Amino acid sequence: MIEWGSFLVVALGSLAGGCGVVLLFSLGLRFAGPDTDGKRRGLGVTLFVLCGLLVALGVCLIVPFLAPFFARL
Amino acid sequence: MVALVIALALFFDFTNGFHDTANAMATPIATGALRPRVAVGIAAVLNLVGAFISTTVANTISGGLINEGPGGVLITPTLIFAGLLGAVLWNLATWVLGLPSSSSHALFGGLIGAAIVGAGFDSLNLTVLLSKIVLPAVLAPIVAGLVSFLATRIAYATTKKRQRDGFRIGQIFTSSLVSLAHGTNDAQKTMGVITLTLIAGGFQAANSQPQFWVILVCALAIAMGTYTGGWRIIKTLGKGITDIEPAQGFAAEAATTATILASTHLGFALSTTQVASGSVIGTGIGRKGASVRWRTAGRIALGWVITIPAAALVGAGAALIAGIGWGGILIDTVAATLVFTGIFLLARRSKVTSHDLVPATPAQFVRPKPRGKAQRAAIADAARAKAALEKPSAAEL
Repeated sequence: MIEWGSFLVVALGSLAGGCGVVLLFSLGLRFAGPDTDGKRRGLGVTLFVLCGLLVALGVCLIVPFLAPFFARL
Repeated sequence: MVALVIALALFFDFTNGFHDTANAMATPIATGALRPRVAVGIAAVLNLVGAFISTTVANTISGGLINEGPGGVLITPTLIFAGLLGAVLWNLATWVLGLPSSSSHALFGGLIGAAIVGAGFDSLNLTVLLSKIVLPAVLAPIVAGLVSFLATRIAYATTKKRQRDGFRIGQIFTSSLVSLAHGTNDAQKTMGVITLTLIAGGFQAANSQPQFWVILVCALAIAMGTYTGGWRIIKTLGKGITDIEPAQGFAAEAATTATILASTHLGFALSTTQVASGSVIGTGIGRKGASVRWRTAGRIALGWVITIPAAALVGAGAALIAGIGWGGILIDTVAATLVFTGIFLLARRSKVTSHDLVPATPAQFVRPKPRGKAQRAAIADAARAKAALEKPSAAEL
């Protein structure tokens, strides 16, 4: 039996996760990277932190003993 | 026999490690985010850690691909031995050709061939073959490629040219995550093979978890294989398909990571190799001005198509010979040793090392422009001196 539903969820999850990480990191570089003014540096750092949290969420998905913690969140 | 299967399973684990290093580390090496030796070192450590993180091994050796157990095929150590021979041989053949191919598919192929010889075509579950192997093999690169394409577009649209070197730092994290995920997934396969062999040989109770020494040796084997570095495959994936810039490398790795993590979490297993290859192609299409070498991509896709049949053929041949008895197993072992040695000797003729993968720096091609009068004069003097040295003197003539 081909699990089309699971596949669709995987495709959408990958799209959201992959593009989300890149968007947050890119915007972080845009606001806190070289060639930027100091005013938006805080925003850039916040975006880097959010990107890090998204990656940490990914780690929670593959580490079994972190999964319950993730589920509680 | 059990000892022989365990030794071969660990060798398979080792080949799996060096075959799949490229999935995580090809793009950071290609963009210069990590030096080759540092990259494979990080990958090896994370594969080792990953192998200890999750020890949930499958209850069936083939994931339902072969009708195992009561009423189906009895998976004996001899059958596993033949299947492993097919898998290892395919891994080594694709390594020498520099083709990224799925180690899991090679293992399944080898076992299918051995099972068909042992119990006929009825032993094969075609529905599972279609839903768990064929369809994901088609869909994985498409999904990863699409995610990577969009991520690349986002990366280039939101950053300025001077800021894009920052993606190198991001690449270190995303590629590390791919390595960790690889360790949690792939080391389990060998743990499962060894545990089921021990159960079949009567050395372990049925339905029990892998013993600590099994986890330890599997983790060490995959880590050592990873550290050895499959430089040929890294070269193909990092430089052969498309020329990768740091922003592309980050986008491709993020797409690979997201696809693997989502599929692992939701139980829809996708091949890491196929996902990583799809991501690299996607990022090649995504950057304006970049081109994808479709000939190389085609060779890789062809490799995926023939992985299972080729490994199955070897597995079937090995199972036929092993069916004779101890003499057959001895013939298999000697023949396999000779073939493996031949492949290694063949690989030495066109060696690819970590040095071949260090990205060229602009300084290697561009001579710095002389700035002052004194500097220009010095360069002219040096050129004259060089010309005088190269010109044969009257005495020599």
